[in-house]
Amino acid sequence: MFLEIKDIHKSFGENENRVEVLKGIDINVNQGEFVVMLGPSGSGKSTLLNIIGGIEESDEGSISIEGNSMNMMNEKRLSLYRRNHLGYIFQQYNLIPNLTVRENIEVGAYLSKHPLEIDPLIENLGLKEHQDKLPNQLSGGQQQRTSIGRAIIKNPDILLCDEPTGALDYATSKDILKLIEMVNQKYGNTVIMVTHNAAIQYMADKIIQLRDGKIRSIKQNPMKVRAEELEW
Amino acid sequence: MKNPLHKRYIRELKDDLGKYLVIFILLVVSIGFVSGFEVADGSLIKAYHASFEKYNVEDGNFTTERTITASQKTILEKNGIQIFNLNNYENAFTNGTTIRIFAQRDEVDRVCLMKGEMPQGTGTIAIDRMYADNNGLSIGDTLEDADGNVYTISGLVALSDYSALFQDNAELMFDAVKFGVGIVSEEQFQSYDANALRKTYAWKYDDASIAGSDKEEDVSKDLQSALREVISIEEFIPRYQNQAITFTGDDMGGDGAMMVVFLDIVIVIVAFVFAITTRDTIQKEANVIGTLRASGFTVNELVRHYMVMPILVTLLSALIGNILGYTWLKDVCAAMYYGSYSLPTYETVWNADAFIKTTLVPCLIMTFVTWVVLWRSLSLSPLKFLRNDLSRKKHHHAFPLSHRFPIFTKFRLRINFQNIPNYIILLIGIMFGNLMLMFGLALPDILQSYQTNIEKNLLANYQTVLSIPSEAMDENHRFQSMMQFMKFSKAVETTNESAEKFSAYTLHTIGSDACKSDEVMIYGVMDDSKYVRLPVNGIYISSLYADKYDTKKGDTITLVDEENDKNYDLTIDGILPYEGSISVFMPMQQLNEMFDLSEDFFAGYFSDTEITDIDQAYIGSVIDLDSLTKVSRQLTVSMGSMMYLVDGFCVGLFVVLMYLLSKIIIEKNAQSISMTKILGYNNKEIGRLYIRSMTFAVIVCIALSLPICSIVLVRVYRIMLKQMMTGWIMFSIHPKIYVEMAVLGFMSYVVVSILEMKKIRHIPMDRTLKNVE
Repeated sequence: MFLEIKDIHKSFGENENRVEVLKGIDINVNQGEFVVMLGPSGSGKSTLLNIIGGIEESDEGSISIEGNSMNMMNEKRLSLYRRNHLGYIFQQYNLIPNLTVRENIEVGAYLSKHPLEIDPLIENLGLKEHQDKLPNQLSGGQQQRTSIGRAIIKNPDILLCDEPTGALDYATSKDILKLIEMVNQKYGNTVIMVTHNAAIQYMADKIIQLRDGKIRSIKQNPMKVRAEELEW
Repeated sequence: MKNPLHKRYIRELKDDLGKYLVIFILLVVSIGFVSGFEVADGSLIKAYHASFEKYNVEDGNFTTERTITASQKTILEKNGIQIFNLNNYENAFTNGTTIRIFAQRDEVDRVCLMKGEMPQGTGTIAIDRMYADNNGLSIGDTLEDADGNVYTISGLVALSDYSALFQDNAELMFDAVKFGVGIVSEEQFQSYDANALRKTYAWKYDDASIAGSDKEEDVSKDLQSALREVISIEEFIPRYQNQAITFTGDDMGGDGAMMVVFLDIVIVIVAFVFAITTRDTIQKEANVIGTLRASGFTVNELVRHYMVMPILVTLLSALIGNILGYTWLKDVCAAMYYGSYSLPTYETVWNADAFIKTTLVPCLIMTFVTWVVLWRSLSLSPLKFLRNDLSRKKHHHAFPLSHRFPIFTKFRLRINFQNIPNYIILLIGIMFGNLMLMFGLALPDILQSYQTNIEKNLLANYQTVLSIPSEAMDENHRFQSMMQFMKFSKAVETTNESAEKFSAYTLHTIGSDACKSDEVMIYGVMDDSKYVRLPVNGIYISSLYADKYDTKKGDTITLVDEENDKNYDLTIDGILPYEGSISVFMPMQQLNEMFDLSEDFFAGYFSDTEITDIDQAYIGSVIDLDSLTKVSRQLTVSMGSMMYLVDGFCVGLFVVLMYLLSKIIIEKNAQSISMTKILGYNNKEIGRLYIRSMTFAVIVCIALSLPICSIVLVRVYRIMLKQMMTGWIMFSIHPKIYVEMAVLGFMSYVVVSILEMKKIRHIPMDRTLKNVE
């Protein structure tokens, strides 16, 4: 198994303010799989994504990628783990405001020993004519494309997407989903996407429903729909 | 209902304690020191001025060849003056110093007893407090003079006519290390050899309004002429020309003004630091501000809100600084004055001017600067805040950088572009700090090289300047005067084999408000002189003269004969390497002809060894290494410890500024730093991005500041020294000073960068995640 998540527990707060956000999560993900995690606000899906990303620590349980357990990793090794295996896409893009589009993507490229070629990628992302602009000169969709470019240029094993279309309009959202779909298919990266948007589940290989910190269901989706055909 | 936003102040203080604390410390130290200085300065100046009346300070003094008789005194006093006896002895002591000893004075120039008691009977002496400090003497210690008299120190005193211990009024600087004044009992005074008595008399005008008035100069000139008709005067010094009395007052006034300028610069720098940090806070709180503005809060309310903390910190710093100034630092600053001047005791005086300069003015400067910056930042539309778009321009365009540059280079350059306003403040701060630091580091070095150069270029080990009796120069009785001069010439013959005659004449440079008039010694040297070698016959100036007046070969200088009211235009044929005094050299014959002196006239001897076979009565002064290096010695004593304070303050200023500005840069980029961590960058790499950009900026700021400071300091030094004192000390900055400055600046930055690296390490990754929520 490429990614094994076993019995993950996570709480926030102390004593009477303690809230258990994840209550024993078990998930297995195959390499190249497109996974969508759905659930209402507070279901724990973003927390789970952050634990997979090594940004937050779980209280209990283990995560291993290609057999290497994350539990044993110190800060330095976690950095290396993120560097070598992960790409991150956020709802709010989180681009570095004083770097241009191209430079933001190069920040990702620097981290990889074998990054993708930047010029064709910028072209594929539709950013060629914007590559020397600063993030504040771009639309939301263009900023998210840049953020995707930054995440995938290092050709990561896993692409973690936290509500990547949450701040975008319908048409731009579809563009972004098409792009992620293209990345998944072209480069073979495993994609784990957290979303509120139930329609997105239809483009996934695996659909995980969370509620109150527990897995409500895990379904394989044999009838994948292309992003272009999604409607909501 | 109270504005609920007020509740944020305490929280903001807690959140940003580091920033407020370092600014607070910087302001307290600056304000406290300036306040202490102003209070000490004001109180001491007041005590100094009050001492004129309290101790009945003379209106002038003169020294005669012979003791004046009672009948002469009566005649002289008909010129509207009262004459008082100030006779004294100058005794050499076995500790290598000289003390001018007076009998107790009860009428004029009375004595302030600082500690202990006045001398009683023989074998006791009260000495000047500062001379005692400089020579490690205290009450109960003993001193022995060259004649074997042993004295026990009974008390420490300040003589009201010697607040600056000038041994000779013509000197460039006093020397409180090797020269002091003292008081002995009448009994002790009468026991000295009467032949060595210096016949000095003080006078007071019958009309008390003359002293200090515009007519004082004219009155004193008339008085001098009237006295000369009755008695033979060796020296005539009206009070306004007496450096031992006036130097202290002149110097103290100038110091106070300099300190206030220093404080104002610090306040402006801090105000801009506040402005930048507040603007940064506004950027961080853009959404909140947008919401508040959209809800009905006015721009004025928000400006007032964000102005509170900077003004509160300044006000609190001013209050605490003033409390420290009036208590502890006042004494520290007064001690600096007491280290330079022999002042009487003082009482602390409330100084309204100091309060305005150290409290009101800083608060006003802070209010103005922060108000301008805040008004500019907050007057954008609420929508712009809500959209987090605080630029006045429609869109910032990226400065084009080659795609070929490595990403780290581009990243660092972008950080630097982003922080140009911060770096400008840093540059101004570093420049200001470096200017003071350069002075602090260079001064001891300058004094040292002054001493070394004088030693190296000494004309002769000894220059014995003869005191020619006035009868020998009396043009109205030429025959008698010739006879007198022949008698004098015979009396001043020496058997010292190294002695070589020189003639001399004293002229003055033309003074102005911008430059005090200098006394210029014109030397006439023998054709085959072994001491002063003129390359070819002509007029040469000392290198010190050339440096002070920026005079070159071929220039014409104008010198004034004040006594005969005549000007001399001299064309310069060359420059001699001599830093001992502002002098002119020419062949002896030329000098004697120029000043209408007899062909065989001479005024003294150059010699390798001290001339001991001439009657002391005929010796005006002896110029040796010791006397030429008085300036550097005294300045080292009085300013040495202050320079360490200056150096320390500058390093403190560097650390504070670098800390605040790098803190702003790190905080401004916290989101990006957090994101780079998520992407997988390690702390070392992030440090390479952010700390190295700042390192580059700091190096550029330090490198830029060094030549600028050097140019500014040399100019300021030249202007100020010309205004402040006669004579000159060449100012050059040794290359090692630049190295020291660069090292101190950079070391300060290393300390700061270690702290900032720690801060980078502690920026959590969830900062990015919080942004998402």
